[in-house]
Amino acid sequence: MITIPNIPESVVARHGSKAWPMGLAGAALLVIGSLLSWSIDPQVLGNLSISLNPGGLQIMVIAQGLIAVILLLADKGPLASLDQFADTALGLRALATWTLIFMTMVVVAITVEAGGLVNVEPGAWICFLGAVLLFASSRLVLPTETRHLSEASLPGWVEILIICVIMAALLFGTAYALGLDDAWQFVFFLVFVMGLVITATRAGALSWLGSITTRRRRVLILAAFTVTFLFPLTQGGSDANMSIAAQVLVFAAAAMGLNIVVGLAGLLDLGYIAFLGAGAYVGAALSTSGFATIGWKPPFIVVVLVAGCFSGTLGLIIGSPTLRVNGDYLAIVTLGFGEIFRLTMFNLDGNNGPNLTHGPNGIPAIPDLEFGSFNFGDTHVLFGVPLARFSNYYFLLLLLIAFIILVFYRLNTSRIGRGWVAIREDEKAAEAMGVNVFGLKILAFVVGAFLAGMAGAIKAHVDVSVTPDQYIFLESAFLLAAIVLGGMGTIVGVLIGAVILKLLPEKLRFFADYRLLLFGLLLVLMMRFRPEGLIASRRRQLEFHEEDEELALRVEGDIAEVVT
Amino acid sequence: MDTFVQQLVNGLTLGSLYALIAVGYTVVYGILQLINFAHGEVFMIGAFGALTTSLVLFRGQTSIWVLPFMIIGAVIASVGTAVLMERFAYRPLRNAPRLAPLITAIGISIFLQEFVRLNYNQVPFTSWNPFNLPDAKALIPFPQIDVVTGPAFEIGGVTIQRAAIFTIGALLMCSALLWYFVNRTKTGRGMQAVSQDADTARLMGINVDRIIVVAFAVGAVLAAVAGVAQGLQNNNIGFRMGFLAGLKAFTAAVLGGIGNIAGAVVGGLVLGVVEAMATQYIPGQFGGGPWKDVWAFVLLILVLVFRPQGLLGAKAVDRA
Amino acid sequence: MHQRSVVRVGAPLIIAALALSACGSRNDSTTGAASGDKIAVIGVMAPLSGDLSALGLGIQHSVELAVKQANANKTIPGWTLKVEAKDDEAKPDVGKNAATAFAGEKNVAGVVGDLNSSVSQSTQPVLATAKIVQVSPANTNPTLTQGADFKTAPKRTYDTYFRTCTTDSIQGPFAARYLFQKAGITKVATIHDKKTYGQGLVEAFTAEFTKLGGTVVAAETINPDDSNYSAVISKVKPKGPKAIYYGGEYPNAGPLSQQMKAAGLNVPLMGGDGIFDPKYIALAGATATGDLATNVGAPTDQSDAGKKFLADYAAAGYKDPAAAYGGYSFDAANSIINALKVSLKDAKDVASARQATIDALGKVSFDGVTGPVAFDQYGDSTSRVLTVYKIVNGAWAPVNTEAFK
Repeated sequence: MITIPNIPESVVARHGSKAWPMGLAGAALLVIGSLLSWSIDPQVLGNLSISLNPGGLQIMVIAQGLIAVILLLADKGPLASLDQFADTALGLRALATWTLIFMTMVVVAITVEAGGLVNVEPGAWICFLGAVLLFASSRLVLPTETRHLSEASLPGWVEILIICVIMAALLFGTAYALGLDDAWQFVFFLVFVMGLVITATRAGALSWLGSITTRRRRVLILAAFTVTFLFPLTQGGSDANMSIAAQVLVFAAAAMGLNIVVGLAGLLDLGYIAFLGAGAYVGAALSTSGFATIGWKPPFIVVVLVAGCFSGTLGLIIGSPTLRVNGDYLAIVTLGFGEIFRLTMFNLDGNNGPNLTHGPNGIPAIPDLEFGSFNFGDTHVLFGVPLARFSNYYFLLLLLIAFIILVFYRLNTSRIGRGWVAIREDEKAAEAMGVNVFGLKILAFVVGAFLAGMAGAIKAHVDVSVTPDQYIFLESAFLLAAIVLGGMGTIVGVLIGAVILKLLPEKLRFFADYRLLLFGLLLVLMMRFRPEGLIASRRRQLEFHEEDEELALRVEGDIAEVVT
Repeated sequence: MDTFVQQLVNGLTLGSLYALIAVGYTVVYGILQLINFAHGEVFMIGAFGALTTSLVLFRGQTSIWVLPFMIIGAVIASVGTAVLMERFAYRPLRNAPRLAPLITAIGISIFLQEFVRLNYNQVPFTSWNPFNLPDAKALIPFPQIDVVTGPAFEIGGVTIQRAAIFTIGALLMCSALLWYFVNRTKTGRGMQAVSQDADTARLMGINVDRIIVVAFAVGAVLAAVAGVAQGLQNNNIGFRMGFLAGLKAFTAAVLGGIGNIAGAVVGGLVLGVVEAMATQYIPGQFGGGPWKDVWAFVLLILVLVFRPQGLLGAKAVDRA
Repeated sequence: MHQRSVVRVGAPLIIAALALSACGSRNDSTTGAASGDKIAVIGVMAPLSGDLSALGLGIQHSVELAVKQANANKTIPGWTLKVEAKDDEAKPDVGKNAATAFAGEKNVAGVVGDLNSSVSQSTQPVLATAKIVQVSPANTNPTLTQGADFKTAPKRTYDTYFRTCTTDSIQGPFAARYLFQKAGITKVATIHDKKTYGQGLVEAFTAEFTKLGGTVVAAETINPDDSNYSAVISKVKPKGPKAIYYGGEYPNAGPLSQQMKAAGLNVPLMGGDGIFDPKYIALAGATATGDLATNVGAPTDQSDAGKKFLADYAAAGYKDPAAAYGGYSFDAANSIINALKVSLKDAKDVASARQATIDALGKVSFDGVTGPVAFDQYGDSTSRVLTVYKIVNGAWAPVNTEAFK
């Protein structure tokens, strides 16, 4: 891997004093350059051709410049008191590096999209120069001792305010990101966000946030739910993104269910999609579609419960013989069961079995749900914002996922959860301690299947048609990847993993052909470099990095801090 | 009676394919306790290797003398893939918890499928196709080599296809060579030792890393032969041919006893015959072609319930 | 240590950014808009990737050719037409997403698609709700226009759906009559792939064949994902059929034919328009000689209009051939263009003209490359000409063209 060599001490000593003014100059250039035009061609990267009217990317660069100013002033100047807590030097280095990367990409992108280096206007070059200056200055700034940020204390209401502000920023940021049609702009936005996050991490801000949120957990959860609830209202009546959001929620719900099986109980299930599919088929067969194959038409709540029970029973059937044997066998058997399910659904079309599923054509034309007079297909108006079909399903899915998260949380913090941890760590020892290994394993399987069944019943209505093609092994692989990517056994991690895996392919359309190729590569790289996932539970991290001394010390320190 | 023998022949043909691929699974599992999900893709790449050799060196020719070269091409392609896989993806994860290599294997499997699909007829990121290879996004016809394809033999009311003879013959020959290799050569005995106890084998002076590479290579060679056989039988290959074949082959390996090479062969043959018989003899709506795969997996579940160590006894048994 | 990880992520990003610059836009469009003209989009939904891409790309390019000619001739004054193609991968799910995307775009005036009847089953409701006309060049299943009870009580379910090809209620019996009356074959085994198209075709065939007096000695199904059909062939062979009638598409039919002959079942395989493609011959190999297929309409290269279409298509320089449905897609696109001539004349924008387009499309009548193009009260084509083709010398050759009565 490339390392940027540290500037030798002698140079730092000689030029150290120039670092600060150079940094300010760099930041100033960034801001000024962003106000000018970057490219003659207005179609490139969302119209960066008008002076004094910054486009999306230019605003991002202005933001980066302003943050650089704040960090510099904290290093030496009016905001010096912040320097005690924030590691401004490291933060500045991260910010400068990312800004340089950002500007380089901008120049490259403009060159490629507009066809030639000559199309890059002076404004962009000024920004580039500013980024280079900033980068140089950050290398010359000396890091200083800092106190741990958790010792910084602010009045309670300020902390709550900060949480709300961050949540609101997340909300509008997501709405903005989803609204970006140009894939290049989306990529740049991602780079910008990543740069900010890494800067915040290096500067210590993220761990400070972590300690705030630990103290104000209730506020955080409430804010998070309010924000997700308000999301459809930011869409201004457009349903296109809500369709993606609804699919993301279904996927996340299924991932949470799988999280119970894989993350908590450690049972490797590669055929989980079959449970989702079973629920969907039950939901479709019992719906009022013209192609529905069963004559009974119960109210929707009953359908959801029946779907859950059906999937749960399937889980029981498949779990009983196989949970007694080795974990690897379980993986293959569940994979085989997933295929059995798909083939059975494919075959039950009257030719090779009773006509329950219409075979490969599936059950189409599933009508929208209707609770009394509230038809999910109609557009309703809430606070002046029209909410169309997918927004309605979005709210229903929010309810579902809240329920699943609740089940997950309660199970995790109960005796059952501890039993699962014991089984995961060492089955024989757990059995010796009196844990009912087989019973708990079956429970995990059945609960996971039940939740998937419920999610499937709703998915049938969101998707309007149910076909066997939707429930192939690849989907199970995606679900598993979401959990592993996000962090097995954690709630936030799995949600993030699910969102990333479902959202990115939708937005990065020009990847469409290479989507699966990159997915496979992602799995391999992930398991090689960060197998515990993005948001790791401490235990996992230690498990995967057994030889990492530094990590062990850090974890010890964190645990000690929480205890004292 | 004729139908029974006919389906028996069909089943043995199908089963030989499974057996050839299953050996690869069982050998790797026996030594590393790793289910090499991507082995199905090694099989697929072997078939593509044979096709490429035929198209690049012998375009249009179907003489029987092309066949050995195609097999060599297949072997080079699949062994290369398997060795690279082991070196860059599995070796770093040697000491990681079980989940890591398994997910890596799934990732590799998907990656290889897509890689072949997108880049078979062009160098990645370009449209340079120097040998004018066909597009892999659809099925590609496989060259019909004389002698091993063509009109079938009718022996007393039973039709035996030439490709079937090739497949079964290939299995017999490969099994004999494999037996000799494992039991009579030093490396082969090393493999046996490592699968029994890797640490002790290391203490005895056996280079465990090299043995593992050999294990992967051995599995890949057999998979390559299976790839050529399937191409000859079905007259076409596609980038997706590895998935289901791999799954069934692992079923066969478990059926025969995981870690047990003879078990893999027996398991493959049994699985093939069961599938063929189920197609013919299960009456009513649940018989016939479409349910063939379902019976294979039902058999797997039954075996795991009643005899988890497989028909011939597993050599790397690890009951929960 | 900190810089390392930061740069570690940054460097690949730069490389990735440079590499990604090779990727282009996904959507195809033809002809830039003449300044001042309003834009109407004709969508195309077909399998542009995967096994059936040969057929799908032919559909896409034929529509593009029609639109190019219309723009060049300024067929609709004040409006420029563009083509937007979306891949449905021959899967109902993906097709539904493509249709949903079209339904959400305001300037889509009509869609040519899908190829597979099973996919259209999912896309019909979506486009009908958005009142966008859909003309299929290749769907042959009768239920799509005449409802689930088409045999006893035909009823038009979606008034936005039309097709330029005939249905299986005509194609199946046509094949049955050819086999029984012209080829003298009285014992047939049927195989299908369980999808809407194949199953419907075989059902129509069987009904007519048994009515004429023939016997269907075996009726089997295969799983389209399967590549080895020896078990099914072994089941069918002892019953001694003199021909196999296959309902499905060429990725399965080709290997089936080859394996059949290799297993000693040396009888011709006959199928519908789904197997009528040069790729079938490639997959079926040298033993395919004598296999039969029906296709809707007269052979494109036999009529003058058809010859001109093929010449124009070749001159336009598309990478992929027009394939079996090129002519039908060309006619489908032109039928939409003819309807738009009427409905867009005084319209302010595309969305408001949608109902008018539906009405106008029902009334179009012109001479297309496949024959006279007009629609009946169900949206079906009024032309009922079909052709039987046989493989001779490694290519499809027409043997019998007639109108079905």
